[in-house]
Amino acid sequence: MIEVKELTKKYGERLAVDHISFSVKRGEILGFLGQNGAGKSTTMKILTGFMPASSGTASVAGFDVFDNPYEVKKRIGYLPETPPIYLELLVSEYLDFVANLRGIPKAQKKQKMDAVIERCQLGDVRNRLIGNLSKGYKQRVGLAQALIHDPEVLILDEPTVGLDPKQVSEARGLIKSLRSERTVIYSTHILSEVAATCDRIIIIDRGKIVAQESINSLGATGLTTKTELVVQRGSESVVQAIRGVKGVQNVQCLSNGKERIIVESDASEEIMAEIAKVTVATNAGLIRMSPVQLALEDYYLNLISGKRGISI
Amino acid sequence: MRGATAIIKKEIRSYFCSPIAYVVLGVFLFVMGVIFAKFVDLYHRFNTAQQFGQAQGITLDKLATYLYQNMAFILCFVTPFLTMRLFSEEKRQNTLELLFTAPIREIEIVLGKFFSAYTLMLIMLALSSFYVFFMVLWGNPEIKIIAATYLGLALALACYVSLGSLISAMTSSQAIAAVWTFIALLFLWLLQSLGQGITASWGPIQWGPTLVYISPLGHFNSFTEGLIHVKDVVYFLSFTFFTLFLTHRVVESNRWR
Repeated sequence: MIEVKELTKKYGERLAVDHISFSVKRGEILGFLGQNGAGKSTTMKILTGFMPASSGTASVAGFDVFDNPYEVKKRIGYLPETPPIYLELLVSEYLDFVANLRGIPKAQKKQKMDAVIERCQLGDVRNRLIGNLSKGYKQRVGLAQALIHDPEVLILDEPTVGLDPKQVSEARGLIKSLRSERTVIYSTHILSEVAATCDRIIIIDRGKIVAQESINSLGATGLTTKTELVVQRGSESVVQAIRGVKGVQNVQCLSNGKERIIVESDASEEIMAEIAKVTVATNAGLIRMSPVQLALEDYYLNLISGKRGISI
Repeated sequence: MRGATAIIKKEIRSYFCSPIAYVVLGVFLFVMGVIFAKFVDLYHRFNTAQQFGQAQGITLDKLATYLYQNMAFILCFVTPFLTMRLFSEEKRQNTLELLFTAPIREIEIVLGKFFSAYTLMLIMLALSSFYVFFMVLWGNPEIKIIAATYLGLALALACYVSLGSLISAMTSSQAIAAVWTFIALLFLWLLQSLGQGITASWGPIQWGPTLVYISPLGHFNSFTEGLIHVKDVVYFLSFTFFTLFLTHRVVESNRWR
């Protein structure tokens, strides 16, 4: 669906995007991960045809972004970092304007507007001034704008920044609901978000792709994860038992009131299941077993800090 | 041109959603009303004086010429208020991305913006035609001259608005756009007086007449005398086209700069 080859963008002397190549399949949700200024927005702006690249090619649905921007723009819905909204218009007036810009025929306009208002839950604010809406609603209006013409490809630049936790989870739900009908590229610097919504991630740092994995295969790449166990009694025997599990690298016993054990192991569900099994078998009274840190987080920080030589 | 139509519709809606259109229309009509009242008073006094043989009589047409020359000048003050927001507001609100990623051409954006402000200016011009109504009611003006004058005003406005949109495309601050548009229009007007005093020449180029020709004043004045010269029409149209072309270029450059 989306093919990017050797894409490079220079702002003056500064290299914002440095020969990146990737592709996205139809129906896939791709997470674009990186720190601020890593080149995420620039890549997205190039894909949407907003900005020309310095070199390299990009194509969407078989149409080259540079040679055939018109066809590409028809197929893309784009939500920039700041939602492109007119504060002086009503929500309905704004969506009507976008529908006209997108060339939606008059006969379908009402139906499409209703559908997108329903989907983004804008029914309550339909006839209110955009300028008077809260940040969350503004973001949803921006999302409605990107969805109104039923695009095949959706490009969302940090769609959950500045939203409250409830709105974040709603936004994620909305994006997940688009899975399989649309191809989505989604940028963020929040890791848990990628883990929660995306099929695949691309981590980009200083304009270069440093990792490109599917979320599920992250575990298979030799990552370690930390798990915390809390037992009622006899932690020594538990530690012994867990040491015997294949794939466990380190076991530590901490005690403060309750018996706490930290297990470092390969990140795989089988190992987790095995640890739980042997712990229960020792009859130590397992109370709790929970991941200490997301594997992804470690992975990400390792990549970034490895590049920069900063210890975190 | 679907995109252009959508933009015109939205822009005109925006003008009337904010107080700007009402304030500008109101102030313009008020100022012109005061000038018109003064003009009627003057007309009356000259004609009374003429009856007693104290002064030369003045024709209604001559006074209409003054009235509309004043109007053309006052429009220089009015235009910046309507053109300042055209592009600068889009830049400030980050909405250019919406326009640039929609399947429309850049020229449609430029034309949409231009025609929205121009339409509003033409509405203003149409509203000012009530002076004509009064003149016809109580006098006997030459309607054809006034028609030519209105054509001249419409053409002059096209060039004011195009200049305003060019300057608005160059900044993200409405205030800066307004000030520079006003300065530019004023400067164009003053070129007339400036050019008249210059006798220097460089090779075959006579600086004085060249500057006079660049100023819209002289071109407009022949319309107020009821003369529609092709050269004046061409001047206004080419000015507008050239400025819109530059606007297109500036808008385009926003993407890669």
